[in-house]
Amino acid sequence: MSTILTYIAISDGKLKRSSLEVLSHCKSLADASGASCEAVVIDANASSFVDGIQKYGASKVHVVEDPIFKNHMNTPLLKALANVMNSVNPSVFAFASTEGTKDILGALAANQNAAVIADVASFELIDGGVKAKRPVMAAKIMNNTEAKSDKVLVSVRSGSYDLNESPESAEVVNIDFSMDDSEMKSTLREIISASGDTIDLNEAEAIVAAGRGVKDEDGKALISELASVLKAGIGASRALTESGVYDPSLQIGQTGKVVSPQLYIAVGISGAIQHVAGMANSKVIVAINKDPDAPIFEVADYGIVGDLYKVLPPFIEEIKKIKS
Amino acid sequence: MKFYICIKMVPDVYAPLQIKEGELIMDADRMVLNAYDASAVEEALVLKEKHGGEVEVVCIGPAKASETIRKALAMGADKATHILATGDEDYDSASYAKILSAFFKDKEYDVIGLGKQSQDTDSGLTGSMVAEHLSLPYTTNAVGLEVENGNLVVKRQGDSGQEMIELPTPCAVTCSNDMNDPRIPNLKGIMASKRKPIDQVEISSLGIDEAELQAHTKVTSYEEKPARQAGKKYEGEAEEVAREVAQLLDTEANVL
Repeated sequence: MSTILTYIAISDGKLKRSSLEVLSHCKSLADASGASCEAVVIDANASSFVDGIQKYGASKVHVVEDPIFKNHMNTPLLKALANVMNSVNPSVFAFASTEGTKDILGALAANQNAAVIADVASFELIDGGVKAKRPVMAAKIMNNTEAKSDKVLVSVRSGSYDLNESPESAEVVNIDFSMDDSEMKSTLREIISASGDTIDLNEAEAIVAAGRGVKDEDGKALISELASVLKAGIGASRALTESGVYDPSLQIGQTGKVVSPQLYIAVGISGAIQHVAGMANSKVIVAINKDPDAPIFEVADYGIVGDLYKVLPPFIEEIKKIKS
Repeated sequence: MKFYICIKMVPDVYAPLQIKEGELIMDADRMVLNAYDASAVEEALVLKEKHGGEVEVVCIGPAKASETIRKALAMGADKATHILATGDEDYDSASYAKILSAFFKDKEYDVIGLGKQSQDTDSGLTGSMVAEHLSLPYTTNAVGLEVENGNLVVKRQGDSGQEMIELPTPCAVTCSNDMNDPRIPNLKGIMASKRKPIDQVEISSLGIDEAELQAHTKVTSYEEKPARQAGKKYEGEAEEVAREVAQLLDTEANVL
């Protein structure tokens, strides 16, 4: 029986929702094809996540636990993933397309001589491999890509699939791991975190994103207030991360994060194609912009033409009222 | 330090395109230097200006790619290697990574720099594949590079913060376009680029088994994205429309 394996990423001590979305999809593929749906978790506290993972249909959870996995580093992660592939021998190995995944996917494919399709919007099994749809050309169009191999790696954009609980009582398999200091190829000196306790944009249900129209501290304060009322993550266009108004980790777009929350509120963002490439898959898009011809209105479900400094205060007040 | 920067000629994603019976049709003349690669070239030039060394660009591509190579030379790269392809090969990221790795096998260098992805396909695989083939320490998605005590110190944009990573040389790094604004070549640079050497190399001379270059993946067709319908625009008195849309998010869109 063939195995479909899903890599479950952990971030800040939590299961990444995007990984569970991928697992949900793999479970349905496995059920339809008679394959075994399995998962692997690699973390300093990996075994503590088994409960959360088996809820989404993995019949076997492979666990690699070692303190070295406290922070992302590609050398130990690659070694662990290669060990896992050698021991599980999956026909398909699926990942959520996080920065952590992007760091190792090509190297793992080269190491395992596996076929690989990165950053897909959807994928399914075909005879002898995998077929996927990928957004290309700044996400203006899609291509259909096929990988024919007995080992296919695939990474999936967040928000591509719905979470779907399907509780299993999974068999837990511990995979040994050890690494000498001498094997470490690079040194992680420090991690500079984004200021404050920010919500991971890939995981956020709602996002408030600021663009060039947000000009000063008053504007930033309005963005923060709206985000806090909605329990939303804060994102920004490239213009504002480049000029240092917001942290670079908050950039949304082709070169930053690709997000797909339930609600996306673009405030003072004109909607350049690189930005739209990073948010067009959001479920509901609201745009607030002074310029009635701003391209962002072409993708917005609700467009408010107006000065954000005048629109946001009553907008925030009304949402507060609805929420209370 | 000796930098090799891998560059790629890619279609201009802003050029008009259409899809006919699953085939992508674009103006073949609108080819550009991949923006992420341009950032890698820029950063290598900055480090060379600070610490000395040499910047050589490497490009796999058809004859026409020499224009892309000249652009990098006009920016200030010292020399170039053009690995000739016909452009009709069915190569995927894995094939390109094998060609580059074969080229680098007997070379001496401190840093191999690449764009983190190409702007047309956005796969982002080749860099870490090359690093794995050559067993090099590497990191991806760099937003800043420094040289300290002969090591490369990379600021990497990770999932939840920026990681400062120190790599011994030789190493590989893939670059984001967020680390700089690549210089626009001036006239002097353009004139100088014409005298800089471009070494031409045939893939067949790199000693790779043809079967090894067989692509694992294949693009079978293109299609339009399901279009997102523009919704309604609300214009008028700010207070009024703001409250109206907030209400609709609750009652109609059901997202509050």
